[in-house]
Amino acid sequence: MTENKIRQIAIYGKGGIGKSTTTQNLTAGLVESGKKVMVVGCDPKADSTRLLLGGLHQRTVLDTLREEGEKIELNAIMRTGFQGTRCVESGGPEPGVGCAGRGIITSIGLLERLGAYTEDLDYVFYDVLGDVVCGGFAMPIREGKAKEIYIVASGEMMALYAANNIAKGIQKYALKGGVRLGGIICNSRNVDREFDLLKAFAKELGTQLIHFIPRDNIVQHAEIRKKTVIEYNPKSSQANEYRELAKDIEENEMFVIPKPMTQERLEEILFEYGLMDNIEDDYRI
Amino acid sequence: MGKYVDRPRYGCALGGALSLLRAIPRAIPIIHSSTGCGYNVYNGINSGSAYLGGGYCGGSALPSSNIIERNVVFGGEDRLREQVETTLEIMDGDIYVIVTGCMVEMIGDDIHSVANEFEENEKPVIAVSTPSFQGNSYTGYDMVFSALAREYTIFSEDKKENKVNILGIVPGEDVFYKGNLKEIKRILNLIGIEANTFVGEGETLDDFKNAGNGSLNIILSDVYGINTAKVFQENHNIPYIITGFPIGYLQVEKFLYEIGEALNIDREVIESVLKKERDIYFDYFERITDIYNDIDLQRYGIVVADANYAPAISRFISDELGWLPQLAMITDFLTEEQKKRIESRFDNYESGLKPYVGFDTNASSVKKYIRKVWKPDGNERYYDTMGPGFVIGSVIERDFAEEFNYPLLSVTFPVTNRVIFNRSYVGLNGALTLTEDIFSMLVSGR
Repeated sequence: MTENKIRQIAIYGKGGIGKSTTTQNLTAGLVESGKKVMVVGCDPKADSTRLLLGGLHQRTVLDTLREEGEKIELNAIMRTGFQGTRCVESGGPEPGVGCAGRGIITSIGLLERLGAYTEDLDYVFYDVLGDVVCGGFAMPIREGKAKEIYIVASGEMMALYAANNIAKGIQKYALKGGVRLGGIICNSRNVDREFDLLKAFAKELGTQLIHFIPRDNIVQHAEIRKKTVIEYNPKSSQANEYRELAKDIEENEMFVIPKPMTQERLEEILFEYGLMDNIEDDYRI
Repeated sequence: MGKYVDRPRYGCALGGALSLLRAIPRAIPIIHSSTGCGYNVYNGINSGSAYLGGGYCGGSALPSSNIIERNVVFGGEDRLREQVETTLEIMDGDIYVIVTGCMVEMIGDDIHSVANEFEENEKPVIAVSTPSFQGNSYTGYDMVFSALAREYTIFSEDKKENKVNILGIVPGEDVFYKGNLKEIKRILNLIGIEANTFVGEGETLDDFKNAGNGSLNIILSDVYGINTAKVFQENHNIPYIITGFPIGYLQVEKFLYEIGEALNIDREVIESVLKKERDIYFDYFERITDIYNDIDLQRYGIVVADANYAPAISRFISDELGWLPQLAMITDFLTEEQKKRIESRFDNYESGLKPYVGFDTNASSVKKYIRKVWKPDGNERYYDTMGPGFVIGSVIERDFAEEFNYPLLSVTFPVTNRVIFNRSYVGLNGALTLTEDIFSMLVSGR
């Protein structure tokens, strides 16, 4: 079975948490080590491949479909980015009209029909918009698509709340399909005892904190220059962090059905880990 | 937890909307939905309503936006706009009504703003949301009717004394709607009331337009048309009364006094009308009394029908035919409040009898209720069967009727085994026709 060779991975997390940045930097780390990767942006804003392509993808799947119909070639919608990464943006309708969720379903269906999932691929990443708002946004984790999921989170309350919610969705699909949670990626926001908090949170979910990415302004610099950190400054320590993340994912063997927690339990964990006694009431950042 | 419906007796909201529009001359529906909705709905309505046909602009010639996947993803408003433009070009009509299917409502297409773009058009274009996740065909009737009352009916400060509007008879779902409206119009006219029945014989869109000068709305139903009546009350300052659906002399008598009271009509006028009508009515009725007594045509009556017909027929067979009403099953989805109101219509029969009243949407439940009203055969030496019986229902009751060897007269939706044009089962003439049909079945073997 050639299909099983491709590791299809979906990245979820709260809006603005850094899913796209993390996915692209992680991808850069993987392609640097010789892997073949395709990134599928599943967000109507179509900004999931900007760093790999050095600019916004101009032709989304749905735009192309709308303008040219279904009889198109794969290269009409696929661009090649950093070190041969294949980049696709699903795209979507204008804000406020139509159904973006159905758009994701349509464009993944089209990618399959056009033969985008070639045998030589090692990884396919689906970068899915913030909240899984409807069935369409769960498309990448349905039967036959992504089998692995990573949730990007930080120590902030709402990020963990969203992560827990996403875990509920994963649990639903995991019970009827083969999808599993591979771990939590922490994209640090420098909040109190973030590492401990995330470790405890991941443990409670029954998974692992697969990597802790420290906060570094170099990410911002690279983003402004439309590059991944690995491309922008390969020697930086942040570039190494992403390489580490890539290695951790490459070697990951822990795939679980998550055990989402109740709101009360989530708040308990936050209370237990999210406050530092010695700096109580000191709100300097 | 959802519940299943074993053989439903209605279509979707879009179906009810299209049936009402089908009944309005020169009203052009424009379906905004995916391919197939229009045709499926038409198929259901056409056969279930004793062959209503497509009419001027209906059936398989319905204008439809036939949206496809691309329209779902990017929104279907452009497609709808195009469909309205082409429909205006091709179909000569007096009003164009956009009605919707479920998926365009789920993606939130703004049909009202599309309709507004045609404000300048010589003939009005109005939009009505008719998603079926909000109700069935009865709801669809109210959705379109209330939209017309809100947007098309002209407000009139001066109310015309003794002019009434008739609501609650749903075209198609009531397979006798046209004949029924004609009879209602006739009997009201006898006591000096001008009745606008909207979709009756000879009536046109103008009757919708000018409904605002009515001084009372009469709803012949405990369920259907009430939302529309509320819109008339709010927007046109027309009060309403709910009378139920009168079948037979006794019910008509009560009906006319009720209306007379609401409109301050002299009781003597009604009395003299009733006397005249009574003579005509019973002159016919009398004809069957000989054969009725000779070969004993009294029957156990089982009525399985909608909220309009079930109470009216059940009372009629008890109090005018002298039958034994055993079971009345009402097949609509109803609220507790509606059930309570309908249940009260089974009280105080002249005969002193009362059927078992069941509210159930499932065809198979009829037998369950029979079991409740009649002791099952326990292999006793002498067992009294519930027979001879007679079923008044829809074609869905065919299996049950055959199993019990009861004749079946289909009167409520779906009625696929009859062709119905202008006959009526309401009022006085309607009751005579109903009696003809019932007893014709009983003497058909002679």
